[in-house]
Amino acid sequence: MKSIVDIVEKKPWFGWVLYLGTLAAVFAIGLLAASIFERRQESFRVQTVSPIADWEPRNEVWGQNYPREYESYMRTSKTDFKSKHGGSAPTDYLAEQPDLVVLWAGYPFSRDYKQARGHFHAIKDIRETLRTTAPLPGTCWTCKSTDVPRVMNEMGAANFYKAKWADLGSEIVNPIGCQDCHDPKTMNLRITRPALAEAMERRGQDINKATHQEMRSLVCAQCHVEYYFKPPDKYLTFPWDKGFSAEDMEAYYDSIEFSDWTHAISKAPMLKAQHPDYELFMTGIHAQRGVSCADCHMPYKSEGGIKFTNHHMASPLQNISASCGVCHRESEANLLRDVYARQDRVKELLGLAQSALFHAHVEAKAAWDAGATAEEMKPVLQLIRHAQWRWDWVAAANALGFHSPLEAARVLGTSIQKGEQARRELAVVLTKRNVPLPVPMPDISTKEKAQAYTGLDMAAIEAQKLDFLENVVPKWDAEAKAREAKLPKTDASKSNY
Amino acid sequence: MWRVVEHVLPPKRWRVPVIIAAGVFTGIGALAFHISNASSYLTDDPKACVNCHVMAPQYATWQHSSHARVAVCNDCHVPHENVLLKYAFKAMDGTRHAFMFTFHMEPEVIRMHAPGQWTVQNNCIRCHGGLLNHAAHLAVTWQEVQAGTGKLCWDCHRETPHGRGNSGASTPNARVPELSPVLPGWHRRTFQTPNKQTP
Repeated sequence: MKSIVDIVEKKPWFGWVLYLGTLAAVFAIGLLAASIFERRQESFRVQTVSPIADWEPRNEVWGQNYPREYESYMRTSKTDFKSKHGGSAPTDYLAEQPDLVVLWAGYPFSRDYKQARGHFHAIKDIRETLRTTAPLPGTCWTCKSTDVPRVMNEMGAANFYKAKWADLGSEIVNPIGCQDCHDPKTMNLRITRPALAEAMERRGQDINKATHQEMRSLVCAQCHVEYYFKPPDKYLTFPWDKGFSAEDMEAYYDSIEFSDWTHAISKAPMLKAQHPDYELFMTGIHAQRGVSCADCHMPYKSEGGIKFTNHHMASPLQNISASCGVCHRESEANLLRDVYARQDRVKELLGLAQSALFHAHVEAKAAWDAGATAEEMKPVLQLIRHAQWRWDWVAAANALGFHSPLEAARVLGTSIQKGEQARRELAVVLTKRNVPLPVPMPDISTKEKAQAYTGLDMAAIEAQKLDFLENVVPKWDAEAKAREAKLPKTDASKSNY
Repeated sequence: MWRVVEHVLPPKRWRVPVIIAAGVFTGIGALAFHISNASSYLTDDPKACVNCHVMAPQYATWQHSSHARVAVCNDCHVPHENVLLKYAFKAMDGTRHAFMFTFHMEPEVIRMHAPGQWTVQNNCIRCHGGLLNHAAHLAVTWQEVQAGTGKLCWDCHRETPHGRGNSGASTPNARVPELSPVLPGWHRRTFQTPNKQTP
């Protein structure tokens, strides 16, 4: 056989064939590589009508680019849904259950506690609630607004928390919305509240490594969790260092001797649970099966041929077929019955715990009045503290235990046990001092009577609130309007298209 | 045998240029392999299927379906009779997809071709066989389906799992996994300033 060299030697045209063949092959592979690059770029192109600036707080600016998501988000303004135990319709819990006033005596929750409305109302609600007629730290704004990441970026989180609530009033005006969970450039989910990332870091977890499915719960866990304002600078902190359960958090608070307030009637050092929705949910069967918050609260929605995530975060009971129906094949009526069956049972236990606590607080007052010593009362007050914390851990969370019915029932079981234990020990103290049992209970048949019993001057608080709403809030709004007028107008000519 | 190799080998005085030329070829080939994430196609990871972004609607709708908890793309879309068949099917389908995507030949509404349909049908039965009534369902043959006398599972279960109709525009803002950057990790860590995301 001849070598190629010999062939080319004899037939020079064959050399040209080799040359052109190689050229064509390299050209083709180059084209292929270029095409791959080009098509890779397409996937990074985020479709925006007008680009969104970093830390843009105005939801309507984002809405220009994402009209379907924005329109569905705007439906969080609706307050027309009421399920058996929840929903978005206005409910005054203190009027429904006046004994709550006694449980929270000395704490602002005894003034006013209503059903939380949708995200859209966050700013309006925190301004209007009677709980905010007191000097508060900037920390209270943290979960209310898309302006929070913007202002934190300017002044730093620690300074934000340290500031006075009233001093930030003109800065924080846009309700919870787009940028709280989304990156403006890529629309990827992101964590904008440092407390969650810090808590995870203390547990040795890097939140940046979370999967997309985990992020679909973690963005909610920025706020729908238990937290406290760490003294002295009111630094927003999640009490997760020892674990996520009610007992773990209780042990954490005990170890740092933290209490939210001293009870006005029983003098117990109390804890107020916020809304440990995420922590409770994580113990439930849905979390164990890999379901995220968004799977049920923001199910996929079709409009014509377009499918998108419904941004009307709400009770899944409002839309059972889109939420539950993705996995469960039962009829809507049966699914609703199953949810209510669990909630009814949790409600029953909540009532038992609540009643034990109401009695315990009043009986503790009777013991103090009869001359009980601080030493005698200490173990009793600790039992009351723990019992009420565990009751509140379930009561304050949304969904009336449905996020994890078994864990909710277990925690309530321990609350009832501790509440009744406190009452037994109180009975010993009272008997020693010849106080006749049962201790007479006050008339708290209405919210007003209960508030009068706990010594609240509601008329003064309401007058103060009215003055604030009429004289301070309009100033905040005017300042905010002047500030936002200077923000760049959205400009369609800068479109990516 | 050695004579054949000898015939192809360049003469001594040409070795260096040929080695360089071969290196250029292999290098460009390796680059194409790297930027197209080719090795990911050997896995069962659904991320590999959205290397081509035209699959984003399929990925997003799957991810929001109940099948996302129990099945990945390959559980339904490649045969599972044996490993050889699985990879042969992947190679054939994959080459076709790569060709169509590279040369911008993909249709606006992507539908399964016949071998794909039959594969999915078999995989429906593979998992859900216990639910089926032999007389009514399992007796359906491919010939009957083609003749219009039999029904495939999704002729009735039309929303499972991707929902109805998946045109390229059907999930405009869906968040699907991003392609990994072309530049290696150490380069990003050494030379790029990280995006400041949290305050």
